[in-house]
Amino acid sequence: MNFKRMSKCFTVGIVLFALSGFIQKTTIEKNRLKFPYKKAGLTERQAAAHLLNRFTFGPTPGQIDEVMHKGLEKWFAEQLNESIDDSDMLKRLISYDALNLTNEEIVNTYPNPGQIVALAKKNNIILKNTDTSAAGKQEYKEQLKQLMQQYGYKPPAELERQLINQKIIRAAYSNNQLQEVMTDFWFNHFNVSLTKNQCLQFILPYERDAIRVNALGSFDKMLLATAKHSAMLEYLDNAISVSTNNPFGKRQLNNQAAKRIQESMGDMSSDTAQKRMAFVQQMLDARKNQGLNENYAREIMELHTLGVDGGYTQSDVTQLARALTGWSIMPLLKDGVGKNLIEKAGGIDKMREKGFVIEGDFLYRADKHDEGEKIILNQKLPANGGYEEGVQMIEFLANHPSTARFISKKLAVRFVSDHPSDALITKMSEAFLKSNGNIKTVLTVMVNSPEFWNADAFREKIRSPFELAMSAVRATKADVQQPFQLFLWCTKMGQKFYYYQAPTGFPDKASYWINTGSLLNRMNFGLAFATEKIPGIKLNLTSLNNNHEPESIEAALGIYSNLLLPERDNAANIKRLIPLITDNNLEKKLNDATVKNTHTEIIPTSDESNGMMNERQTNRAIKQSERAALNKNNTKPVTLAYAVGNNTMIAQVAGVIIGSPEFQRK
Amino acid sequence: MERRLFMRNSALALFAAGFGGVPTFIANAANNKKILAPYKKNKVMVCIFQRGAMDGLMAVSPYGDPSLKTLRPTLYMSPAETEGKMFDLDGYFGLHPAMASLAPMFTEKRMAIVHGVGSPNNTRSHFDAQDYMESGTPFNKGTASGWLNRAVGLMGHEASPFRAVSVTSALPRSFYGDNEALAINNLQDFAIQMKGNPMAANIAAKSFEELYDATSSDILNKTGKESFDAMKMLNVNNIKNYKPANDVLYPNSPLGNSLKQIAILIKMDVGLEVAFAESGGWDTHFNQGTTNGLLARNLKDFADSIAAFWKDMSGYEDEVTLMTMTEFGRTAHQNGTGGTDHGRASCLFVLGNDVQGGKVYHNIKSLAKEDLEDGRDLPVSTDFRSVFSAVADGHLNIHDTKKLFPEWDGNSLKLMKG
Repeated sequence: MNFKRMSKCFTVGIVLFALSGFIQKTTIEKNRLKFPYKKAGLTERQAAAHLLNRFTFGPTPGQIDEVMHKGLEKWFAEQLNESIDDSDMLKRLISYDALNLTNEEIVNTYPNPGQIVALAKKNNIILKNTDTSAAGKQEYKEQLKQLMQQYGYKPPAELERQLINQKIIRAAYSNNQLQEVMTDFWFNHFNVSLTKNQCLQFILPYERDAIRVNALGSFDKMLLATAKHSAMLEYLDNAISVSTNNPFGKRQLNNQAAKRIQESMGDMSSDTAQKRMAFVQQMLDARKNQGLNENYAREIMELHTLGVDGGYTQSDVTQLARALTGWSIMPLLKDGVGKNLIEKAGGIDKMREKGFVIEGDFLYRADKHDEGEKIILNQKLPANGGYEEGVQMIEFLANHPSTARFISKKLAVRFVSDHPSDALITKMSEAFLKSNGNIKTVLTVMVNSPEFWNADAFREKIRSPFELAMSAVRATKADVQQPFQLFLWCTKMGQKFYYYQAPTGFPDKASYWINTGSLLNRMNFGLAFATEKIPGIKLNLTSLNNNHEPESIEAALGIYSNLLLPERDNAANIKRLIPLITDNNLEKKLNDATVKNTHTEIIPTSDESNGMMNERQTNRAIKQSERAALNKNNTKPVTLAYAVGNNTMIAQVAGVIIGSPEFQRK
Repeated sequence: MERRLFMRNSALALFAAGFGGVPTFIANAANNKKILAPYKKNKVMVCIFQRGAMDGLMAVSPYGDPSLKTLRPTLYMSPAETEGKMFDLDGYFGLHPAMASLAPMFTEKRMAIVHGVGSPNNTRSHFDAQDYMESGTPFNKGTASGWLNRAVGLMGHEASPFRAVSVTSALPRSFYGDNEALAINNLQDFAIQMKGNPMAANIAAKSFEELYDATSSDILNKTGKESFDAMKMLNVNNIKNYKPANDVLYPNSPLGNSLKQIAILIKMDVGLEVAFAESGGWDTHFNQGTTNGLLARNLKDFADSIAAFWKDMSGYEDEVTLMTMTEFGRTAHQNGTGGTDHGRASCLFVLGNDVQGGKVYHNIKSLAKEDLEDGRDLPVSTDFRSVFSAVADGHLNIHDTKKLFPEWDGNSLKLMKG
């Protein structure tokens, strides 16, 4: 067999193998899925509603029927395969030009606040001491703006807006809902935060490249992807965690210093000599502040894998941090400091020869790695383990029994109940270990379990503010033209997503989401949303009822309760509300009193010199949004749809339903 | 004691007159307090975080140190007429003239200053340093809770849902944790709102109240009740028409507005015990100025807001302690652009009748190069936790410092009375 033929056979073999694997996989998923909801006393209809409540951002009108028609198991299998056509959703994302940029492109398009300051300094643009008036500040801002344009830079707030808006659009309109729900789950699990300037540029690619593609894949792959991603490397400081004892690094530094000293000796001008000596001193000083940083090593065990009681010690943290020294980021900024370093090292190829690892933006610095022996969780890592020992440890952590339990419990808390049973967690962790952390397998075991369908679990989860906003959009088929407005509302309701500062992520429990302040905001959200007081969110409530106008307010209450809260027992609540809302002249009074309003385009503004939205900017954006909601000068054009139905009355009824306790539950 | 009773009664009277009935959570809180006699009643700790790292060497300047003038040739200030006319605190430290409104509090010994304070972790990243200061664990990022949330939990009594309130749009790191804590951006939002349609809002509010009262979800039911009680109590009109004591005018700034809202909550007697506010703009890398300029303006707003709050707290001085904090200080020397870069230690202010004031507490050696950290920064000679724990203990009676600041076994600074 000649080589060519062999390789051909080989290729065909691979294709066949892959294909059979694919066929096998889909059939297995389908066969494996068997939902025991009947035993739990649920009708198929209730079960479909439960499934949609937990694995989507809320059911859309008619979706329960669709799922029943398709078959519950088949619907879930399709969601697991995450390959449903999403062209409608993608159309809404067309104008978002940052979504496909690499880390490097983003760094060179949307500079972070530090880079802007450095650039301004370089170009002698500084806020004048003598002029601190508003005009002076304005002039400074104007100069900065021009400078940024000159360099082809865009304001970082624009990157933030695209990141936030794409999450909202995907959650509201993606057909692959499970993928989005899982992306939300894993992002929170591997949290990074826009509050940290050093990592904010990388969060969009992080969610896209480390989280979403792995959200229904295998856990170890996702763990490694997060470990190597610039966002995580910056957020938990591993990018600056180095060993100062690396023989190679030491030699390098000594050579550099010697070179400088030699240069100075040969120089006649003592001024230059002095400068060079100062530089050497500076290098040595800088080194003094370098060293091991344990943050990431601790959190990967405590929060990402084993859990706080997962059986590791402080020594394990230190040793793991040593194993991960040198895991860092390629210098990405054009003309930045690091670019120079690559040249000095003789180019990327030369670096690879010396043991550096370069994969995209990830850089393993062989000269900063601790090459000593380590013992981590009873695993002995011999000296000179290089980059590979870190990878090996991450795989070890990913498949550890403590990790299986920790992840299984977290999944069960998200999807089953705030207090999942031990039996369920055990079943799920066994599946986790057997499948090497296959997330589809673990979810399958969970949804096949009686616990998932148990009456205790039914509707006992509370929607997070983001889930609430998204389910309102989905339940009403709202047209979200200004997604950012929903972000401002989520902030008011207690979930400023992408901004949670601690690596723990948002606590996933009802008692965190529901408090005195946030609850009133949830009710106000319902009202503002349904009465179209949120700029750029368009509703057509009558079309949900096939453009039939309810005959009375009682009828409207019945119709819209059942539309927005399908498969719930709404009768008691309707009965309770009727006396409150059937004032004789209520409809007329409501109509007369309502201020018709229009939607003014609100673009969130952010101070260029200050990066992402800080407290003051968030408040400003919220105020702007509120002002737009009250704008009396422009009355909303009465469209045909509104003329047909008694929109005011219907909207207010829908608002009460969305703000009601039942709509907060899933 | 009599005044307290009067205040409580007046707040309840106001409430009862309008709506009939005492809010459940107030009644519960009052009952709990009867049982918990040893607890000092109704003390409130107000914290202000100055984000961006305030230049402590300029706010409270060790003008008496001979090195300062050399380190900061154009930023140097002193009590001398020609050098900025600082308020002389003790012959060595001077208070920035823009902070003159706080000087009387120092003279009256109600305000203490702690200098050379900061974190043992030498990070110079705003994010990391704020994170560590707020979690109270300077070497551990994964600490889920913030120190103020732990403080709330350690007070050992049930209390109202308004026990911990942050006047910010999102919950600050200090408040993360298991104990209920609120972020309230604006007290006027504490209402069911349908802008431009108060009548519909009224009906909606009644509808919601009915539905939350009937729900089978315990947490929604309980919190719903509390929310409606609170809403009636924090009547929007009361907030809008709020008249501070002594005809005080708060600066119309974010900090001024935040402190005013905290004052309202304190006077409404809703059970507030820990309050949090923020102040920004302290990252003065360029042309920070001396008597005028960027830093002076910030310091003036900061001091005037606090002074206004204090005057408004007339009659509550025994109950309230206010403490400021900032993530780190700035370089001892000025930089090439008339500003200062990220450094180590800064200073903070503690204000209240429980404070042994009129003194600058410090362990600073000198600003001579050999006494600076890395030859450039005022070193941290007082751990921030020794101040925070002292205030929590002295004012809120939280003795369990180990639980408040795990991983720390230092001693609290003796700056509180008693």
